[in-house]
Amino acid sequence: MTAVRTAQLSKRYGATLALDALDLEVREGEVYGYLGPNGAGKTTTIRLLLGLHRPSAGRAELFGIDAWRDSVDAHRRVAYVAGEPFLWPSLTSAETFEFLARVHGGTDVPYRDELVQRFQLDTRKRIRALSKGNRQKVQLVAALATRADLLLLDEPTAGLDPLMEVTFRDCVIEAKKRGQTVFLSSHILSEVEAVCDRVGILRAGKLVDQGTLDELRHLSSQIVEVTFDGPAPRLGPLPGVNFASAGPSSLRFEVSGAVGPLIAALAGQPVATLTSREPSLEEIFLHHYDHGDGRAPS
Amino acid sequence: MATAALPARALVRRTFLDARVRTLCFAWLFAIYGYIQPVGFRHAYPTLASRLQFAHSFANNKAVVVFYGKAYDILTVGGYSAWRVGGTLAIVAAVLGVYAAVRALRAEEDAGRAELVLAGIVGRGTAFAAAIAGVAGGMLVLWLAETAGLLAGGLPAGGAMYLALSDIAVVAVFVGIGALASQLAPTRRIAIELGMATVGVFWLLRVAADTSAGVSWLRWATPLGWAEELRPFTGARPLVLVLPSAAVVLLLVPAARIAAARDVGTGLLGARDSAEPRLWLLSSPLAQALRRERASLIAWIAGVGAYAIVMGVVSKSVSSAGISRSLSHELAKLGSGSVLTPSGYLGFAFIFFVLAAGLFACSQIAAVRHEESDEQLETLLAQPVSRRSWLGGRLLLASAGILAVGGTASVFTWLGAVSQGESVSLARMLQAGVNCLPVGLLFLGLGALAYALAPRASVGIAYGLVAVAFLWYLTGALLGVPKWLVDLSPFQHVGLVPAAPFRPISALAMAAIGAALAFVSLWAFKRRDLKGA
Repeated sequence: MTAVRTAQLSKRYGATLALDALDLEVREGEVYGYLGPNGAGKTTTIRLLLGLHRPSAGRAELFGIDAWRDSVDAHRRVAYVAGEPFLWPSLTSAETFEFLARVHGGTDVPYRDELVQRFQLDTRKRIRALSKGNRQKVQLVAALATRADLLLLDEPTAGLDPLMEVTFRDCVIEAKKRGQTVFLSSHILSEVEAVCDRVGILRAGKLVDQGTLDELRHLSSQIVEVTFDGPAPRLGPLPGVNFASAGPSSLRFEVSGAVGPLIAALAGQPVATLTSREPSLEEIFLHHYDHGDGRAPS
Repeated sequence: MATAALPARALVRRTFLDARVRTLCFAWLFAIYGYIQPVGFRHAYPTLASRLQFAHSFANNKAVVVFYGKAYDILTVGGYSAWRVGGTLAIVAAVLGVYAAVRALRAEEDAGRAELVLAGIVGRGTAFAAAIAGVAGGMLVLWLAETAGLLAGGLPAGGAMYLALSDIAVVAVFVGIGALASQLAPTRRIAIELGMATVGVFWLLRVAADTSAGVSWLRWATPLGWAEELRPFTGARPLVLVLPSAAVVLLLVPAARIAAARDVGTGLLGARDSAEPRLWLLSSPLAQALRRERASLIAWIAGVGAYAIVMGVVSKSVSSAGISRSLSHELAKLGSGSVLTPSGYLGFAFIFFVLAAGLFACSQIAAVRHEESDEQLETLLAQPVSRRSWLGGRLLLASAGILAVGGTASVFTWLGAVSQGESVSLARMLQAGVNCLPVGLLFLGLGALAYALAPRASVGIAYGLVAVAFLWYLTGALLGVPKWLVDLSPFQHVGLVPAAPFRPISALAMAAIGAALAFVSLWAFKRRDLKGA
């Protein structure tokens, strides 16, 4: 059973193509990290998944329910944290919880009380008196406490301090253990690396890469760092090897495919150390930014 | 310092441009109203004899004075225009002044933009002065527009400029009141409510001064009375301009002082930031909407109630002495029906409650739109809440509010009349109140459709339709255009109980059209994207 499925999902705002034929599948019980730079189409995707905006083409389903046509049915199984924590300024947090719980059709009150403790919220404060981070916590507590089957989180940790960020990660991992599905839109890569099973990278409305972290690492190039005794030598162009950066006596390469040609070229040079490692998520992510066509370099 | 001049100029420009749509709409209104009155008067009363007859009967009638203010001379085109244009536009000008100042000052703080500006190289005093200067720029546009309208209507240049100035002086004073309210109130909404309450009090003072001989000195106590005492076209007294000028200074200087001294984002009246949870009216989106709208509902009902009591009390003093029957059709040209008897007068008065119902419908469309533009609707519709039930609930709430406005008008007018020993039947007055519903529903339906199809423009469209329809009702017949054109205004189809019989077919038709439009809007709203600010 899939929690989220989109087929050729597209959205056009006037002349701008915000989302271009997106095919996405998130399995039940999975934590899916949705990465992309600002304006890539992450929030548009979530609005389409919630039926707040209407697809220009294609369709989106939550648990097999059409997200636009039957949005109310779909929402019974969903909790949402909006990117901008706009709530009702004159309500207190406690009143906001009560209202959202009633509207959602139920919530786990003991768990909510526990979350209020963990996120250190003063529920007597009116929303308009809260900082952005605290309003974000109100949204998070309300969403998590519903124990909905699917959590749609749009940059949920924007404005949270590092301690609260840790609490948030714990909550996501607990949700996963209970079998909830989490769709986490973010550009905090360490957060995605820490909690997500699978990752999709969006660029200019297109999904440019998708898979588990391991898969992404295997598919992309590995990083080879070489230091020399003395100044770094100049090397000619090599197949499947890109110069990533250079220091006075060191070189860094991105190698896709076999390392053999690089080793051969380095033979006879005064190599002091040679390390090879898989790229971090940040490097994978930046890699997709840097290459304008969004495809892995050949 | 040279460095502060440029950012200040940018702020003035920003304030002016932020308000440009509102400024232009009101400029059109002022210009057209200023044009129609002299033209209509010449058309309807071409001879001195007809004017004499009109003056004798109409202008000294207290009923009319309540709305248009005191008339000093309505034998000349200029004097008539000064009376009709000046008195009415002064009330519009007062509301506009409060709104413009609060929008430029308190709303900017509420939205957090003021912090951004003050983090730059402008001080608090400069920012305040720049906002006021931007608003003043809008006032200049209004002054030019009204002058142009009066000139186009054939009035002499000097008099036209002076008459327009008498209205703009009112705007200026109420900009001062709005600026001071912005310093006192902790939120935009409370600032608007403070300002509007002040407008109401000053209007009541003018009514008292104009209708009761003993307290005519009260005219000097209200900025709306100063506009009358400037006497455009009827022995102008420019020295009176000292009063609004002094008032502007006395309001703006303390406002500027407070703005420079207090914490940004707070008001002197302070708001409570914490509260024990009160869990009533949270069970559904509709209940919560009622909870949030309750202050505004109470304000509307209190305003309409106060106005209704005045109408009821004044109705007693209406007299038919000296009014010939041959004049009744002349009076009807002013869209006023028969104002010769207390019941006729109450019928005339009720058209303003029908107008209030239409405006209330617009205010509800505005509340609906704000919930969307503030992105609260996004949070709400991500819950298992259907768009149809949300919007349908809001429209039902608005309809109930319209009914409450009509009912309040009926009961309080009746109370006012009865308190003066007038014999008016409550049943008839309730029937008069029912008239508010069809017109209110019609404009609610139109506003809802605008909201579903063009959300960002919808609030302007809703208010614009009501304003144009009412203006057309007041002036269409005066211009002698064909009847079917005049009949385009829904206000034309109201049977003004108790002066005239209730018109059930018109009422049903308008209510049905309103309901049909509302249903179409539910369908159309389901098909569009949510749109932020």
